[in-house]
Amino acid sequence: MPNPRPDARGPRIGVFVCHCGKNIAGTVDVERVVEALARYPGVAYAARHEYMCSDPGQDVIKRAIKDHRLTGVVVAACSPTMHETTFRAAAEDAGLNPYLLEIANIREGCSWVHDGPETTEKAIRITRAAVEKVKGNHPLTPIEVGHAEKCLVIGGGVSGIQAALDIANAGFEVLLVERSPSIGGRMAQLSETFPTLDCSQCILTPKMVEAARHPRIRLLTYSEVESVTGYLGNYRVVIRKKPTYVDPDKCNLCGDCAKVCPVKVPDEFNRGLSSRAAIYVPFPQAVPSSYTLDEQNCLGLNPLRCGECAKVCTVGAINYDMREEWIEEDVGAIVVATGYDLYGKEKMAEYGAGTVPDVIDALEFERILSAGGPTRGEIRRPSDGKVPKEVVFIQCSGSRDPELHKPYCSKICCMYTAKHALLYRHNVHDGTAYVFYIDIRAGGKEYEEFVVRAMEDERILYLRGKVAKVYRDGDKVIVWGVDTLTGKRIEVAADLVVLAQAMVPSAGTEELARKLHIACGGEGFLKEAHPKLRPLEALTAGIFLAGAAHGPKDIPEAVAQGSGAAAKAIAILSAPTLTHSPEVAEVDEDLCSGCAVCVPQCPYGAITPGDVAQVNELLCEGCGTCVAACPSGAMRMRNQTDDQVKRMIRVALGEPVGVGRG
Amino acid sequence: MRAKPKLAVYWTGGCGGCDVSFLELGPSLLDVLSRVEIVFWPALVDTKRADLESLPPRSIAVTLVNGTLRTEENVEMVHLLREKSELLVAFGACAHLGGVPGLANLASREEILRQVTGDGFQPAPPPGGDAADAPPELLPQARPLSAEVAVDYVVPGCPPMPSLIGPFFDALLSGDLPAPGHVFAQDQALCKECPRTREDRKLTRVVRPHEIVPEPTQCLLDQGMVCLGPVTRGGCGAACPKAAMPCTGCVGPTPEAGDPALAMIAALGSLVRAGDEGPAAFEAEDKILNALVDPLGTFYKYSLPAYVRARRAR
Repeated sequence: MPNPRPDARGPRIGVFVCHCGKNIAGTVDVERVVEALARYPGVAYAARHEYMCSDPGQDVIKRAIKDHRLTGVVVAACSPTMHETTFRAAAEDAGLNPYLLEIANIREGCSWVHDGPETTEKAIRITRAAVEKVKGNHPLTPIEVGHAEKCLVIGGGVSGIQAALDIANAGFEVLLVERSPSIGGRMAQLSETFPTLDCSQCILTPKMVEAARHPRIRLLTYSEVESVTGYLGNYRVVIRKKPTYVDPDKCNLCGDCAKVCPVKVPDEFNRGLSSRAAIYVPFPQAVPSSYTLDEQNCLGLNPLRCGECAKVCTVGAINYDMREEWIEEDVGAIVVATGYDLYGKEKMAEYGAGTVPDVIDALEFERILSAGGPTRGEIRRPSDGKVPKEVVFIQCSGSRDPELHKPYCSKICCMYTAKHALLYRHNVHDGTAYVFYIDIRAGGKEYEEFVVRAMEDERILYLRGKVAKVYRDGDKVIVWGVDTLTGKRIEVAADLVVLAQAMVPSAGTEELARKLHIACGGEGFLKEAHPKLRPLEALTAGIFLAGAAHGPKDIPEAVAQGSGAAAKAIAILSAPTLTHSPEVAEVDEDLCSGCAVCVPQCPYGAITPGDVAQVNELLCEGCGTCVAACPSGAMRMRNQTDDQVKRMIRVALGEPVGVGRG
Repeated sequence: MRAKPKLAVYWTGGCGGCDVSFLELGPSLLDVLSRVEIVFWPALVDTKRADLESLPPRSIAVTLVNGTLRTEENVEMVHLLREKSELLVAFGACAHLGGVPGLANLASREEILRQVTGDGFQPAPPPGGDAADAPPELLPQARPLSAEVAVDYVVPGCPPMPSLIGPFFDALLSGDLPAPGHVFAQDQALCKECPRTREDRKLTRVVRPHEIVPEPTQCLLDQGMVCLGPVTRGGCGAACPKAAMPCTGCVGPTPEAGDPALAMIAALGSLVRAGDEGPAAFEAEDKILNALVDPLGTFYKYSLPAYVRARRAR
């Protein structure tokens, strides 16, 4: 309805109230909101629609903008995160600058959370406040910017490899950075994968090889990201490539160097269950296929100190003078796929871990199962190499234990424990496998069937209950537990105990997140922009998350997320130009004294101190923290000035318009 | 020759420092004095209220009032001065924002009188005098000049520095006065004029000026002194921070700062840092900020009456 007392001069704002079916109209008297707003100063026209976001609903807005020569629009509907883009595009179609349209959220902030008669009054006030905001809005133009056509992928596990391959196959250059000497990640350490029992390396290595020989993937192993500056589309990254002291082009993997090396240190790849020399290749299918000289453990990188490896290297691949390299590149997008570690088993004192040698974690058991592992795939326990006849698997070790360890479910342990027990039974036919569990979480394609097969066909003893204590008694490991289904106390004299340790973010995740200006959640996993609708994005534009660095997940999920993140990155890399919201902070240079209080507040590093503060519009995400902190009112948010906010508050509190100080 | 502009200077509830501050102009004071005609200035020449009352309305070109409004007589006098003057200037922090005497607003008039004179005080004329000679009634609250009469210009400061008084007289005597309402100080905060460096901005402790000898080149806030520089107009040349003392805000808040206490709390709250985020850090940050002694007296040292409304009478 048109305003019965129109104002010839001044703003002509249109107000459009959405029923949202019963979502809003169920508790808000929409008709009354329209009537109240139609009479509100500055409003030229008010209307309602069953579903404002529908095409006919949008047409109502478009027609009114033209017919009533509207200078601003308020849509009273759902949260702006839902349909702000929809309605702004509609406004633009009708010839109105999209930044002159605002959403009054009368659903999430009103109709959903109230019933009773005051709900309508609140909806009216929220909408009036939005009208006050629009009165102070200025037309804005999105900021356009070019971008680099290269992507950085951090982490060379399966998720990072998948992301790198997808991006490279779409025609863009990729830098794949991996801090260890080979790509492959955790998946390379696994024996077989649930629920299909494919050999993990057999399905992974083709992807590793493909990544290595891809013309558009630059593999930077044994490298770490040192710094990241810039913004969406234009990140400048500095990568430090540590010296391997071996020329990968010359190394022919003969292994003579490792044979003569006098150093023996625990082998990380085998989780310390075997040893390696200071010059080593992590596993036979390593990519790049080259030895690496670990300078921390080498006797001296010097022919005078040792030099045995260089002496025997017939191809002259070993070069003690190799130095670290600094690589600086501009990239348009970044995929973070830094993966996971297992929660340190030494923290499980109640399970004797760290003191009883035959209490091992799940990855150690993977290595024992693996044909390339320390026992060549024969199941032998660490203490004396005997084949264990009674094995206890403990699930939720460190997971789902908010008092002592991690509160969350690590998601994959039910499945891999079933796999472990099953593979054990396949290897040791006369062995007995016990699994202690809290409950079985087997959500996934063919997962439940796999667990049922382990329980029924493989005769693995599933005991519902927590283990109270594990201790050593002679060459046995005694496990005390309770079967809560029968109420019986259980004592097993086991030969080996395998702990399904919680998944935690890999070491250094937090430090990397700081460099990238992205957030970690409470448990240290990388935080997504929205748990439902933006699960692949970090809060910083242009940075995407993939794999277990974001939270516990299994291989198919990690791969899918790698592909998803790649698709997101490709969308940036393939865009002709990028646009950035113009709703950013700006400095009034006549008021700024250069006090720099704002500088450390900015989570995006967008403010440069100086005579007056400078805001990099492309880095600014419009959060407004600097505006709140600025002591002299010199920092302003475009279309969200103090004056606008104060008017909105006054109107929301029921004061008549135009009353009070400015 | 054009007649010299007539000048009046008056003090209400002030300390007298503002009257003395003219001397800081040095030799240029002689030039100023030679170009004005003083018609009323109790601190300098023998003039009485009757002399003022006898003047025609708006006959004084400019009147500078310093001091807060504290008594009924103050109020009468400023109305009289307003009537007789073309321009009325709030001179100094008390007239501008209420000043240091304005901190008395934290107590009621009765509490103040009891504190100063003991119980049962009644204003009374001196022995043998008549009722009109009784001391004037104390107002319930101290008030800035603008709360009572229209103010054309402000020369701020406690007391105003020559760098602020000078430009005012230059403008007055050249006839090139800015639009009414102008404050003769900078719109930008005094950090602009402060030579101290602001590198790693954070507040990790709060100290009082006597507790440390500050490092000579680093921002005092970063060293833990609660310096009001970021919320205070420049124009003083950052005199206090240059002398290793934190700014206490005498020139008044910058035009868009609003309430200086709120602006300063926002700034301190933003800068305080105790390790990484999380409950423990927040607790530690609370502790740091709680070390601030007398927050009201720190943030509103010169401006309580201008920003904090009178408390309900108890």
